[in-house]
Order: sequence, then C-alpha cells, then structure tokens
Amino acid sequence: MFDLLERAAERSRELGASYVELRGEEGFVEYLQMDDGRMNALTQRIERGVAIRALADGAWGFVSTGDLSSLGGAVEDACSMARAAARTRREPIELTEVEAHEDKVEVKVDRDPRHVPIEEKIGYMAKMTKVIRDYDPRVTAVTVRVRTASGRKYLVTSEGTRIQSDVMLVWGYPWVTGKEGDRLSAARHEEASTSQGWEYMESFATPEYMGSEVARRVKLQLEGAPARAGSFPCVLGPRVVGVLAHEALGHLAEADLTVSSAFNGKLGEVVSAPGVTMIDDGTLPGLVGNERYDDEGVPASRVELIKDSVLTELLTNREYAAKLGLRPTGNARAESYLHPPIIRMRATFFERGDHTDEELFEGIDFGYYCADMRGGQAQMNASFQVGIQEAYEIVDGEIGGPVTDLSISGIATDSLFKIEAVSREDFPFGAGRCGKGQEAFMSDGGPKIRFGKGGITFGGRA
Amino acid sequence: MDEHRLLELCRHAVAAGERMGATAVEAQARSASNVGADIEQGQVSAVNRRASDNIAIRAFIGRRMGSAFTNIATRKAVEEALGLALSSARATTEDKDWVALPEPKVYPEIRGLWNEDLAAVEPAKVVEISGELMARAVEGEPGLIPALGGSEVAAYRSAFANSGGIAHAERGSVAFAGLGAIAKTEGGVTPMVFSYEVDRTLELDLDRVVSDLTESIRVCKRTAEGESGKSTVVMHPEAYGEILYYTLQQSIRGDNVARGKSKLEGKVGEKIASELVTIVDDGVNPRGAATFISDDEGVPRQRTPVIEGGVLRSFLWDSYWGNRMGKESTGNASRRMRQGLVELSPTNTVVEPRRREIGDIVSEMETGYLIRGVQGAHSSNPESGDFSVVGNPAMLIEGGELVGAVHGLMVSGNVYELLGQAVEVARTPITIQGLIGPEIVFEDVNVISRG
Repeated sequence: MFDLLERAAERSRELGASYVELRGEEGFVEYLQMDDGRMNALTQRIERGVAIRALADGAWGFVSTGDLSSLGGAVEDACSMARAAARTRREPIELTEVEAHEDKVEVKVDRDPRHVPIEEKIGYMAKMTKVIRDYDPRVTAVTVRVRTASGRKYLVTSEGTRIQSDVMLVWGYPWVTGKEGDRLSAARHEEASTSQGWEYMESFATPEYMGSEVARRVKLQLEGAPARAGSFPCVLGPRVVGVLAHEALGHLAEADLTVSSAFNGKLGEVVSAPGVTMIDDGTLPGLVGNERYDDEGVPASRVELIKDSVLTELLTNREYAAKLGLRPTGNARAESYLHPPIIRMRATFFERGDHTDEELFEGIDFGYYCADMRGGQAQMNASFQVGIQEAYEIVDGEIGGPVTDLSISGIATDSLFKIEAVSREDFPFGAGRCGKGQEAFMSDGGPKIRFGKGGITFGGRA
Repeated sequence: MDEHRLLELCRHAVAAGERMGATAVEAQARSASNVGADIEQGQVSAVNRRASDNIAIRAFIGRRMGSAFTNIATRKAVEEALGLALSSARATTEDKDWVALPEPKVYPEIRGLWNEDLAAVEPAKVVEISGELMARAVEGEPGLIPALGGSEVAAYRSAFANSGGIAHAERGSVAFAGLGAIAKTEGGVTPMVFSYEVDRTLELDLDRVVSDLTESIRVCKRTAEGESGKSTVVMHPEAYGEILYYTLQQSIRGDNVARGKSKLEGKVGEKIASELVTIVDDGVNPRGAATFISDDEGVPRQRTPVIEGGVLRSFLWDSYWGNRMGKESTGNASRRMRQGLVELSPTNTVVEPRRREIGDIVSEMETGYLIRGVQGAHSSNPESGDFSVVGNPAMLIEGGELVGAVHGLMVSGNVYELLGQAVEVARTPITIQGLIGPEIVFEDVNVISRG
C-alpha cells in the first residue's frame, strides 16, 4: 500500500499542489445483529480504499476511491477539485508547520477479532440475550449488535510523513424493550475498545455485565415516575458528566465550530465556576478514540480546554491552528477513507475536584441524580441537550426512587457557572460514538458534579 | 459503472451463489458518484468527489442466512464475497420463520428521477451554486454569517437480482444546496439556522432558502424570554419530522409491531391523532429525495397511507416481516450496504397540507412559539413515544408577531398525545430530507423555560 500511495504522492508534486495527503486503508470489518435470538445480519467484508486530499491554490480538493489501480488519476482529480474551489476564495487556506513523522504503530491484542470463530460471536450474543431475558419477565424484545474491525491504515503526505497504524475495534450494543400493560420502555448500553481484541468482550464487556446493565435500566424505566419539568439542583454521574463535557463545551471547543459559536473570542476568559478543569486528552493509553497520530500525522496531545475555570485552549487541525494562531493539537480525524479528516474530540473529561460524593448530595431538599445517558446534541448558541435513561430523585440529600426517561439541557455559557461541587472520587471513562457528519469513536467521563438550581433544565412531564 | 453492468454483476452473483451451494441468493449493487462544494466560514473551502461501487449479498442455505459486502465491482470480488456470505450462513443459526425471497412484480413508472445535467455536472457548477447561495444570504440580512453548508450533486445507479427471479436496474440523480447561518448578538450568537433545497434538477430554489434563512436570522438576532407551562406551538417540518422519525416512525415498522416494541400494535383502524392529521409513506413521490422504483429487496415502492384523518391505516412491511405476519410487503425494505442489514424504514413521509398559509396562522396567534428545529430527538424513547427535546431555534410569538429567539426552551411530551393536539396544518408543503409537509400547530404543549 505504501508504494502505491508514494507513487501517487509523487504525482502530486508534479501537479504543483502545496500539500497532498493520501490515506489508505485495508482491513476486515464485521457487523452482527441478533434480534430476539435470530441472526438478522452477519456480514463480513474486506475493504480497501484510499482518500486523497490536496491543497492547491489555497483550497481543498478531496477524492475518495476504492479503485487502487488509478490513484494517479485520483490525485489529478483532487488537485483539479481544489483549484475549482480556490477560484472563489478571498484568502488562501494555509496549514501550520508540523514535523514529518515516519512511524509504525502497532496494536497488540490477545485475540484478533478476525480470527475469532463466528460461532463464538453468535454464542456471545445469544448469552447476552439470555441474561437480559432472565433478568425480568417484562422484557419483550432484545437486539444485540456487535461490530469488529481489524486492519491497517497508511498515511503518506507530500511533506514526508509516512505512518502505518493498526486499526482495531470491538463494540457491543444491546437495545432492550420492556412492557407492562400499556407501558413500554427501552434502554441501551454500549461498550467498545480500540486497543484490545475480542478478549475485551470476555473480560470486561461480558454478556453478563452488558446484559445486566441494560436490563436493570429497562426495569427502572418501567418502575419509575415521570420527572418534573423545570430547573432543579442536581448531581450528574460520570456517564452523564462525560456527555456533558462532550456536548456542553467539547463541540464548541472544536475550532472549526468555535468560530461560529457563543465561545468565539472567549479564549483566556473565565467560562465556568471556580475549580473546574476540562480536558481532551488524546494521549491517555487504552481509551477509545485515542491514537498516537491523528489523520494528518500530527501527534496526539493533551489539551486543557478549561483550566481552573479559564477557557485555555481549543481543539485544532493544521488548518485551524494556522488560521487562529494556535498549536496543532492532533484532533483531525476521519471516519474512514470515505471522508476527509475534520476536528473531533478523543477522550474528553472533567478533572476531579475536592469534594466527597456525600458532600455533593448534602443540602439538596429536592433534585435529581442522573446516572446514565442516551445521546446528546450541541448547538452554536451554546445550547446543549443530554438524553437521560437512568435517573433518580434526590430527596433530603438522599437518592430516592427512579424516574422515567427525560432529557436535560442548558446554555453552556451560563450552566458551567452553576457548578457547585466536583467530586474527588475516581471515575470510569465511557466509550461512545459521535456524529458530526461522520462517525467517530470517542471516550468521555468525569467525576460526579453538582449543579445548582438554574444550571440544568429538566424536560420532564410532571 | 452503469446500471446494466451492475445488473449483470448481480445476476452473476445469483448464479455463482447457487453453484456454490446457496439455496437462495440476492445481490444488490449500487454505484454512486457525488460532487460537492463545502462552505465553511463564508467561503468555499473544498470540492469533494466520492465515487463508489458497493455490492451487498445475502446467501441462504436452507433457513440460514449469511451476508457480505465488497466495494470492488468485479466478478472475482463478488465470488469472494459470496464465499464469506456462505461461510457465515453455515456458521449461523437457523431462522425457522424465514420463508422466501420476494418474487417479481410490476414496477411503478416514476418520471424525472434521472437528469443528464446532474450526472454530467462539473465541479465548477457546484462551486458556483455554493458561492451564489452564500452571496445572496449575506446580501439578504446584515450580519448573517454563512457558517457551514454547501451544494452537492449525486448520481446513482443500482441493480438488484435474486434467485426468485427478480432482476431490476434503475438510476437517479439529485441535487442539494443548503446553508447553516448564524449572526452575532449582544450576548453571543443566534442559534444556527439551517435551510436547504433538494431537487431532481439543477434549478434549485435558492430564493426560498435565502428568504427562509434571512427571515429566521432576523428574528433570532433578538432574544426573548419563554415561560414554562402549556402553550401553543407551531412546528416547522424539520422539528416535528425529527420527533416523528424517532418515535412514530419506529412504531409503524412492522418488525417493531411484531416484536412487541410498538405502542400501536392492534390499533389499525383506531383514531391515534387529530382528524387534521393525514400522513402517507410515499415511496413513489417524484418530489421526494427518498424516491426509488424498487426497495432494497427488489419489491416495488408504493404509496402507503399510514394515518388518514387521524385514523391509523397501516404499518410498513418488508418481505421477511410481511411473510411472517401474513402481510404484503409495502416496499419499505432498506439495506445498510456495508453492514448487510436489511431493515424496515420509511421512504418519503408526506403530511397532507390544509388550507391556511403559515403567515396567516401566526398572525392570528396571541402567544406561542415557532420551533424550527430540535436538539435531542434521537434520545427519544421510540417504544413509549416519550420525547424531551430542546427547541432550537425556538421563536416566541406574541400578538401575531415573531418576537425573538428563546434560548434553551424545552418541549416534552408523548408523540401520540402530540398528534392528538394538532389544531391546524398549514398550506404550503416544504420538502426536506425524507419528509414533505407544511408546518403543524399543536396546542397545550408542555414547554419548559430555563431558570
């Protein structure tokens, strides 16, 4: 693959492009879906393709192809596309200077998913289905999805970068429906690893763990009371805090979005209550979404988005680093060769604070504890939304009964100032996916955080 | 690759699959070519071209099914994929409910799906459309910033063959232009307002997009305060379309009905919405972006009334669930090519318009909200129909006027209650991705203001 890409890169020099990157991929990808014990999809594929991105005359041209026999033509096409775009630009796109890297990044796993027999994977899904069914007789439908990938990607740029990286993914996702009388409910759970092989599904994301987590939530949903509507003091658990980090500020700290958002121009300003620190760290080993280099060949780094309440850095790619005079943070990621790299988060989290978990609940006469989420979404005016699939009332400082699903929201430029306490306890990272026109696997998390009244709005129905 | 060669490849897959031991085989091939010009921060940032050949295969051995995918459109690659599919079929469990692949039927004739101008479009043309859209939007409203968007032209060719005798090929093309715009305000920025146009020709109505954007941004530059409680809410099709997609449209899927995942089970013939609501799943509507001659199992697309005058008329079926439940397929099979998953999905959701223009409706409202889009519809509960979203942009209506944007206004409820609260359906349909319909007015909607 490297030879093919390098020959094509050579062609780009003749065409006068100021920068060309070629990203090649080849690998085994698998998708399995079991609905109520029936295999509804069992697809394996070997996929190869190349993405070519050329910067010529100050604009980008991008071509994606599965035809590896005519990469020279694809490079010409990308340069010609760039020039078509360039004719309308007022100022050229420039890239910040970075060091070229030559490297080989290996992911060592015990059990490469491509070599795990299909029967074993089907057995994993059947066992999870049984665990869920056995948990509560009110479970009416169980869908289990499994994805795996095992392959390699190659990056060659006209500046001399030449990186080969292993690609690994194991992912499990049950979706469960419960029914009691006319009342229907649903819950999901998701775990993934990009640093371990099938052993992850045997040691951590086991059928027992995944199945009982999701079934427990369906049961709580069936037994919960509707949440009230309005603003209440609340404590958010690590899985919700992670999505909050992702949606409330994370997206708007992606430099390509920051420039159109309510956080534009706020670098160096206080954007949260005292003592709040929020990080996107691409260097933490083993977390989903973290790789040694991004898809522009820039080494991953730790980015302090909020440091002691001050908006300190933004997430960048080479283009936005040059445009805004910031450092390249290594956050350019592409879903696959079908897409150009754009600025994405990796592992985004709030740092631990100095309160005990007990202190977080103290003094709340009535409020909510939100333990698990179901997706979220950000908007440019700093409005964020997080779907909640596991929550409880807080009554007189104690966790009370469960509530049915709802969503919470806020305006990040206000809500972050309503943080009253951050737990000092350690927390697990959650694995998830984000859609910004392309899918990206990422991690997020944080310690329990308490918000005062006025920080978070509850979209309940009571 | 043209559709005739794709069909030849599909036929080869069926014949080769049967030779290799499959008792039933189907192959779907799709060749797509997209050219698009991205807008970023008020300028065209990139021109993209994506060309792909995708072939998805399902092979059955008795009642065991395996599937495979390849992006290499050669006989050799197809045979390799067949090998993977058959190997999966041998390893998987038997599905006692599987009956057969669908058989040939007469396809509808739909004019205007293919346009030579679109198929032959040059990059310069999409750059021109993106540039014109930006320029006109900026000219139309002071302070409007074209943050992101672009234009794109897609031409696709597809083919399908199965061992039941279906052999079908078709082609189509579609053009798109859209813009997400913001403006600075005293306290920050407006919500991003997104508007777009989809057409089967290059005659995209940019005037409509520009006027939609500029009018909304003009209102959103002003901030208004919302008030919690029950309120009249006018929803733009972008807003109710998202809510319907993640709730109602999951509940009318035949598979979800059969699996006990739908609150609508057993309710065909019953009133489930206001009598003003008529919704059709229209897979053959020439205006729809999701219109094809055949579904992804080779079954003809059709027009399926879902709700008529508030009464539930039908669920949507593919051949598997239709066979299983004794229903005819409604042509709603949809294939995720790379995943090999064939599932039920809506085509074009068409909401029947009624008499009054939205401007006249709003001008007579004392108070209420106009919600153009929502955040978080994907976190709704598809089984229960409960939703809890942020209306964004949400605009306060007072004395028949749009006063300003309300930031962080939440709307919560249950989709079946919401459909019963529809008190007016506007006159002029708006075509968006997967939906053609006008604004709908709902009363007594639960809205929650911040603070």
